[in-house]
Amino acid sequence: MAEKTTASRSMNLRMTVYAALFTALIIIGGYISIPLPVGPVPIVLADFFVMITGLFLGFKWGLASVALYLSLGALGLPVFAGGRSGLAVLFGPTGGYLFGYLLLVSSVGLLASNRKESTVRNLMALIAGNILLYGAGVPWLKAVTNLGWAGAWAAGLIPFIPGIIIKIAVASILARVFLPRFKEISVQ
Amino acid sequence: MAEMTLFHYIHKNTVLHRMDGRLKLACLLLFSLAAGFASEFHDYLVPLSVLFCAILLAKLPFTTLLREMRFFGLIILIVIVVNSFTIPGDPIANSPLAGISQQGVSTGLRFAGRLLIVLLVSMVITGTTPLMKFRDAVEWYLRPVPFVPEARVATMINLTFLLIPVILDSFREMMDAQNSRCVQLRKNPVKRIKFLVFPLIDQTLRRADEIAYAMEARCYSEIRTRTAFKCGKIDWLMLAISLAVFFFVLL
Amino acid sequence: MPILETRDLTHVFPDGTVAIEDIDLKVNEGEFLVIAGPNGSGKTVLARHLNGLLKPTRGQVFLNGEPISKNIIEARKNVGLVFQDPESQIVGQTVAEDVAFGPENLNLPVAQVEMVVKESLAAVGLSQLATRSPHALSGGEKRKLAIAGILAMKPKIIIFDEPFTGLDYPGVVQVLKEILRLHKTGHTILLITHELEKVLAHADRLVIMHKGRLVADGKPESVIYRVEEYGVRMPLRDGEKVEALTWLK
Repeated sequence: MAEKTTASRSMNLRMTVYAALFTALIIIGGYISIPLPVGPVPIVLADFFVMITGLFLGFKWGLASVALYLSLGALGLPVFAGGRSGLAVLFGPTGGYLFGYLLLVSSVGLLASNRKESTVRNLMALIAGNILLYGAGVPWLKAVTNLGWAGAWAAGLIPFIPGIIIKIAVASILARVFLPRFKEISVQ
Repeated sequence: MAEMTLFHYIHKNTVLHRMDGRLKLACLLLFSLAAGFASEFHDYLVPLSVLFCAILLAKLPFTTLLREMRFFGLIILIVIVVNSFTIPGDPIANSPLAGISQQGVSTGLRFAGRLLIVLLVSMVITGTTPLMKFRDAVEWYLRPVPFVPEARVATMINLTFLLIPVILDSFREMMDAQNSRCVQLRKNPVKRIKFLVFPLIDQTLRRADEIAYAMEARCYSEIRTRTAFKCGKIDWLMLAISLAVFFFVLL
Repeated sequence: MPILETRDLTHVFPDGTVAIEDIDLKVNEGEFLVIAGPNGSGKTVLARHLNGLLKPTRGQVFLNGEPISKNIIEARKNVGLVFQDPESQIVGQTVAEDVAFGPENLNLPVAQVEMVVKESLAAVGLSQLATRSPHALSGGEKRKLAIAGILAMKPKIIIFDEPFTGLDYPGVVQVLKEILRLHKTGHTILLITHELEKVLAHADRLVIMHKGRLVADGKPESVIYRVEEYGVRMPLRDGEKVEALTWLK
């Protein structure tokens, strides 16, 4: 009994450290941008790391990690893309995407394969998560900016499509390479 | 990326810097709410002038603040311009620009005023509060909240900010190592991101294991010594001022 | 009775790799023990068993004759472990806060935490840097901070895992002096290294690990002539004595 509680406590600590690390990665992702050969919008990696967080940490801890990210930003720490922060950003034009991160991480965490690795299943989860992310982000953008539907789609989704496809591809490769090892360590 | 490690905290020894973190968070909330409720011209003027005094009191450097505001300045400008032209209403007499409406301009200015208040208050708070005080204050507020393990949240905040500079450093080293092997000649963006992210994740996971072991070795426990808070009369005065501003705007 | 003892200690990783096998080691109180071996010989895994971070596949670790699995917190308080990478050991935003991490985990009262932190920082000579960010410290200072963090738990035994890795000459001297001071003030020291030339002169005993097994154990002046068989560089040149193996003048 005593041994079991020690084990679950050290498991909790391990997941706490992982969740903090993924929050750090999401924050860093907002600062890293890679130019794309197509389109004017560079790839920002924050949403990519949100996907990874869902795949690696699952629903509960993934959600905790992203919620921490949003709360830190809401409190005024410059953690959002490009070092922005505050309620103004959270409820500004791009706020829908930030709240969409919560949908993204929970759906990926819930839908992705948890016991046996299945790349197809991970891919499906990632696609569903991204649909939810933009499903939250684009209408929000329209509501806040008065852009109209056509404008909102043109500004809020279409330029990102190449990036989305690339990120989903890399995320699923990453899961295939690292997840078996990661799960082995984390259940040890 | 030095600004990330500093997190815009500017070390000075002023009343605001010494202020109790819990009360400061409360002030942040009050000002943010006030910004939301503001409608008349003086509703904006009062919080803004109080915040202006706070910046002076905290001896925050104006040039740095202005530089940080650049991005928002642009947004504010766009908001004013777009609103002025798109919202229908009475035209402004003697205006050199056709199509601007009075209602449009005033809506635009209101939006801008709101944004400015939120912006300035978060700048004052982050500029005068070191991360530790921040974390301790958050922990204190979470204590009565059920189902949220406040010690764990505090640990997470701590680790997150501890790790950002460490991860960035190793990330930059990896980038340099790849650039010196001409990674930029690779055209496939999937490969590019893969080369970037794989070593980053690999190293980060390893580091997480080490940290978890090191914390366990030092008997990590979520039942731990709690921070002692100190709050003096001046701290309460600050909160009182914030409350006054909030009610002034509300009524 | 030895202060720390392992019996048949074996650790097999989930993938079947045997990290350490049948380790029988007795450490006496006040001893200065050097554990040497090439990379991958199981030194670090052994160290992590000594305060219960890893669970043995077989065998047991005893602290003062009691199995450590009985009271793991007690074991971790008494057996301090200074990790190879001081970066991963730092958890505080400032030097003082990092040292406070351990005592705060033990839920000591605030005043007592402050006192312990002051003492520990003074002991390693970092009092001046208490409010600095740990990342601004030099390599040697970081290692000393890691030591202060361990001292705050008031351990009787301190294990150093490769304490000289990545340090320049002044850094090594700084850390070595600190270790010797700790030994003098009554701590039992276990030092894991493959750089015998820096420290062996001060050791009471030398243990060699090879491929997860304990292959030699005894006085440094007798064991030293066998190190090269087991993949550790022979630090003595012709005619030199073990006393020459130190980076202190």
